[in-house]
Amino acid sequence: MNSSVLLLVCAGLYAQDARQIVEESQRRGRANSQRYEGVLEVIAADGKSSSKSWQSMRLGSYGNSKAVIRFTAPAEVKGVALLIINHPDRASDQWMWTPAIGRDRRIALQDRSTRFFGTDFSFEDLEERDVDQYEFRLLGEDPIDGAACWRIEARPRQTKTSQYTLSHLWIRKDHYVAAQYENFIKDQLVRRLHAADIQDVQGIWTARTLEMTDLRRKSRTILRMQKLEYNVPLKDEEFTVQALRREQ
Amino acid sequence: MKPPSWDRLQPVLVFAALAHFAPAQSFTQRGFLETTGIFYPQTAPNDSGQAVGESLFRYEAFYKLTDLRFAAGIDARFDTHQQTDRSLDFSWFDRTRRRQVLAVRRLSATYTHGKLTIEAGKQLIRWGKADVLTPTDRFAPADFLNVVESDFLPITAARLTYGTQADTIDLVFEPRLTPSRIPLLNQRWGVPIPVPIPEAPADFPGAPQYGARWNHIGSVAEYSFSFYNGFDHLPLFRLTPAFALQRFYPQLRMYGADAAVPLGPVTVKSEAAYFTSTNPQSDEYVLYVLQLERQAGEWSFVAGYAGQAVTDHRSTVGYSPIRGFTRSIVAHASYTIDTNRSVTFEAVIHQNGQGEWLRAVYTQAFGQHWRATAGFALIRGNPSDFIGQYNRNSHLLLTLRYSF
Repeated sequence: MNSSVLLLVCAGLYAQDARQIVEESQRRGRANSQRYEGVLEVIAADGKSSSKSWQSMRLGSYGNSKAVIRFTAPAEVKGVALLIINHPDRASDQWMWTPAIGRDRRIALQDRSTRFFGTDFSFEDLEERDVDQYEFRLLGEDPIDGAACWRIEARPRQTKTSQYTLSHLWIRKDHYVAAQYENFIKDQLVRRLHAADIQDVQGIWTARTLEMTDLRRKSRTILRMQKLEYNVPLKDEEFTVQALRREQ
Repeated sequence: MKPPSWDRLQPVLVFAALAHFAPAQSFTQRGFLETTGIFYPQTAPNDSGQAVGESLFRYEAFYKLTDLRFAAGIDARFDTHQQTDRSLDFSWFDRTRRRQVLAVRRLSATYTHGKLTIEAGKQLIRWGKADVLTPTDRFAPADFLNVVESDFLPITAARLTYGTQADTIDLVFEPRLTPSRIPLLNQRWGVPIPVPIPEAPADFPGAPQYGARWNHIGSVAEYSFSFYNGFDHLPLFRLTPAFALQRFYPQLRMYGADAAVPLGPVTVKSEAAYFTSTNPQSDEYVLYVLQLERQAGEWSFVAGYAGQAVTDHRSTVGYSPIRGFTRSIVAHASYTIDTNRSVTFEAVIHQNGQGEWLRAVYTQAFGQHWRATAGFALIRGNPSDFIGQYNRNSHLLLTLRYSF
C-alpha cells in the first residue's frame, strides 16, 4: 500500500483547484505495479503491542488496480490473504482467503468498516480510491511535520459506498505526497492516517511509514514498508480468487 | 512392531528433500504443534474414559518454480484413547479406521498457464459457499471421530480450473474414494449397539469419482452450479453372512447450486444439493441451507437453517453427521476482544427440540507463536435424535498450540 493508495478525493468554492491537486498527486504516484513487505506494529490503548507482517502486490494504479495482501506473520495467520479489485466507478470487490479452512469469502460492502485482522486499518481503508468517486473542496493551507500542505475536504459521491461521511487530506506542496488523512463519521473524527519517512523510490515520492490511529479505540497501527519496488513484472492472473487459493 | 518400510518413509523423505533444496525466495513453510485435552464429566455406555489427550503436529511446505508449484504436508498424531493407530501402517487414500500416526496432508504439483491451472496429487478441495452446512462440498471428506470437532481430510485427485475472475470452471477427477472417518464403535462418539457385533473390513468402491463446478462472480452476487458423480464418503452398513457389521459406500450423484448475495445489512448465502443413488439401500434427498451473515464492529454473526427433504426413503442403516445436523437452526457468533483475544459461540438446535449442541470457546494468543483455547460444549437431547444421542458427551476442552 502506498500513501496515495488511500487518497481521498471532492467540489465547492475551490473545487477545481482541489481536484487538480489531487489529480496531480495521483499522477505523480502512478506506477504499473508495486510490491513491498510490510511490518506492522499494533499498539493497543493500554500500550500493549503486537507485530504482524504481510507481503503486498499491486497491479495498476487508481481506479483500475488489483492488489493482494498476504500475511507472513504471526505464524498463526501465515497465508491468510486479501484480494482487492478496485473499480473507477464504485467500491472495490474484496475476498479473503483463509488457508486453515480452505475457503475464500467475499467481504460484503456492509462489512468493510470492520478492522482488518486486528489492525487499525478497516477493509475500506485498504481500497484504492479514484478521484471521480469524491467531491473536493480546498480548505486552505496547513503544515504537517513542518512541511507546507494543502488541506482538502473529500466527500464521497452518492454512488460511492463508504463508512466515512467525509475526509480531510493534507497534500504536501513540494512533491504532492499525501501527508495525512482524517476520516470522519458524521462530525466525529474516527481515524487518522499519518504518513512519514517520505522518500524518492524509483522516481516516485512515497511515504514508507504509515500510522493509522483509531480514535475511538485509542489504538494505532504503524506500517513500515520494506523492500519497496515499483514497476515489477506481475501477471494479471496473480490477482484472482483462484490465485489466492493457488498461492496458499 | 515391524520396521517402517520404504513405502511408509518415502513421503517423509520427499518433504525433507523439498525443504532442503528449495531456495529461500520461493519456499514457504508453516505448521503447528497442538495438544488438546478433552474432559467429559459423564461416562458413556460404551466408554468409561472421561479424559482424552491428543497431539497433532502439522507441517506444510510450498515451493514455487515459475509456472509450477509444489505443496507438501504431513500430519503426525498421537492420543491417549486409541483413536490413532499405534503402528506406522500407511494408507495413501486415508482409509484406515483409526487416524494414522503419520499421514500425508498434501503432496501435489500445480501448473499454471494463463487462465488454466492444473493441480494433481493429494490436496484439499472445498466447494460451496455456506458455512453452517455445505451440501455441495463433495470432495471434502472429514474426520468425524469426535463428530463435533471435525477436520477435513485431503483427497487424491486431479483438478483443472479454467477461467477468469468472473467465470471459472472447475473439473475434478478422484481415482479412488477417500472416506470420512466415522466414530469408533467402542468409544463414546460411536453409536451404542445393544448386541456386540464385530466390525468387518469395509467394502470400498474401486471406481473413480468426478465432478464439475461453474462459478460466476458478478458485481453484486456470486453463484455456482455443480455436479458430482461417484460415491458417498459417508457409509451405509450391512450385515455380512458371518454376522459382522460392514461399512460400504453407495453410489451417489449430486446436482448442486450455491449463491451469495449481499442485501443491505446482511449477506444472504444459500446452498442446495439433490442426491440420487442407484443403490437400492440409499436414500434420495435434498439438503439445503439458508444463512445470513453480518459483521458489526468486533462482532461477527452467522445464523441460518439447515434443512433436509427425503424424496425417496429406502431401508437405510447409515451414519451421516452431515444429514444428522440438518433440520436445525444453526448460529455462530464471535467477538474479538482485542488483537490477542476472542470468544466464539456456536449453536445447533434441532427444530424438533430433541437435540441441541451449544459451544463457547475463549482464545488467547501469546506473542508470535503461542495460542491457548479453553471452551466447553453442552450437548442435550433425546437418545433417539442424532445430536441427542450424545447427551453424555458434553465436555470441556483445553488446547495449547505452537505455530511456526
